[in-house]
Amino acid sequence: MLSYPQKILDSLNKINYTTNIKGETMSGRVIVITSGKGGVGKTTTNANIGTALARAGKKVVMIDTDLGLRNLDLLLGLENRIVYTIVDVVEERCKLKQALVKDKKNPNLCLLAAAQTRDKSAVTEEQLKDICETLKKDFDFILVDCPAGIEQGFQNAVAGASEAIVVTTPEMSAVRDADRIIGLLEAKEEIKSYKLLLNRVRPNLVKTNDMMSVDDVVEILSADLIGIIPEDTGIITSTNKGEPIVNDDKSLAGKAYRNVARRIIGEDVPFLNLEEDTSVMGKVKKFFSGLMGKEK
Amino acid sequence: MNEIFTNLYNKVIGFFRQTEKQETSAKDVACNRLRVVLMQDRTNLTPELMERMRKELVELLSKYVEMDKEALELNLEQDGDQVALMLSIPVIRAKDEEEIQKALQESEEEKEKSEEEDSSEKETSETVDSEENNANKDSEKEESPQEKETDAKEENPSEDKK
Repeated sequence: MLSYPQKILDSLNKINYTTNIKGETMSGRVIVITSGKGGVGKTTTNANIGTALARAGKKVVMIDTDLGLRNLDLLLGLENRIVYTIVDVVEERCKLKQALVKDKKNPNLCLLAAAQTRDKSAVTEEQLKDICETLKKDFDFILVDCPAGIEQGFQNAVAGASEAIVVTTPEMSAVRDADRIIGLLEAKEEIKSYKLLLNRVRPNLVKTNDMMSVDDVVEILSADLIGIIPEDTGIITSTNKGEPIVNDDKSLAGKAYRNVARRIIGEDVPFLNLEEDTSVMGKVKKFFSGLMGKEK
Repeated sequence: MNEIFTNLYNKVIGFFRQTEKQETSAKDVACNRLRVVLMQDRTNLTPELMERMRKELVELLSKYVEMDKEALELNLEQDGDQVALMLSIPVIRAKDEEEIQKALQESEEEKEKSEEEDSSEKETSETVDSEENNANKDSEKEESPQEKETDAKEENPSEDKK
């Protein structure tokens, strides 16, 4: 156990070294990922977009600001590697660079973990702003994982960011909360733009008019869309394994997240067509499965 | 055998009906409910305030037309990016000039009385102003073009009113 931290510190020093040797002064983009409502997939989105951006060759750092309820480390499979947290940085028990945990697979990806034993007041808006400013110099993207709610935790997470991704699902409560968050983001001068990410879309239910469609949600919230992620059972297994689903090339949700990352970088990627087979055979199949009493 | 056919028949009919009646689908119910809730969230108008606004409008408008006071509907609706205040009033009978004049006089007299009670004229006009500002802020001062008639009536006499 004791040898562990040293290893990480060494690997971290290596990253710094490469950055310094290039002599680049980067100015990264700080994106906060927020939703208002809990359980809509903020953290999953963060882990996947971060991993996808890193796979695309960008230097990415993820900041978990959900103090007391940290989970981003689990989704990335890094829970055993955390030595220092953001609170340690703020309270000057370590340097910022020491607290960055490098991803297992991708050297471009780092995590600044939240403290599990403290509450939201342990870090202030100003301190988070400073951390983001410092990280901007060394990374292309700083993704801030925001806690649920609209209280101090949200205010902290948003403080250092200039862009936002609002995660929501096609459910009434999630859309309502997203609307509230959008209202709050619009009132913030620092947030230059925000985009909507619609998570857990179930094309089958949309088709039978049992679930709100992507268009419905976009119209109601009148916000720009950055991604549509289909409901995918693979998310459960990927969370269990601590392996973001973007690493699974076969998964549709993984592909959707990779597309989101490409859009963030600036590529023009068309949205996935989630409508399943609308061919004649598809309809015939559906009709017969209906006859067999599988539907309704 | 017969059962299979009736089952088949129902399924076929159901298959076609599904596409026809979309108004009652869960999705539409959700969309409509959400729109209403979001209107309230965005304007900070609680149901209580809406009811108060409705009552005040009834009081005001009944000076000019005889209407079904219970049936006056006041709703916030979304029209694209804009929020519209929709007012629907079933008019029973148009009042003639005399009646309107009489109603107006009555309200003027009432107003004078209340002004006397309030002692100073300035104060009342100030409160009217500030209340109007608040109202504007709350409803985001967007009114729908479909309600021009009622809007016109609303705007002018509202100053007399309070």
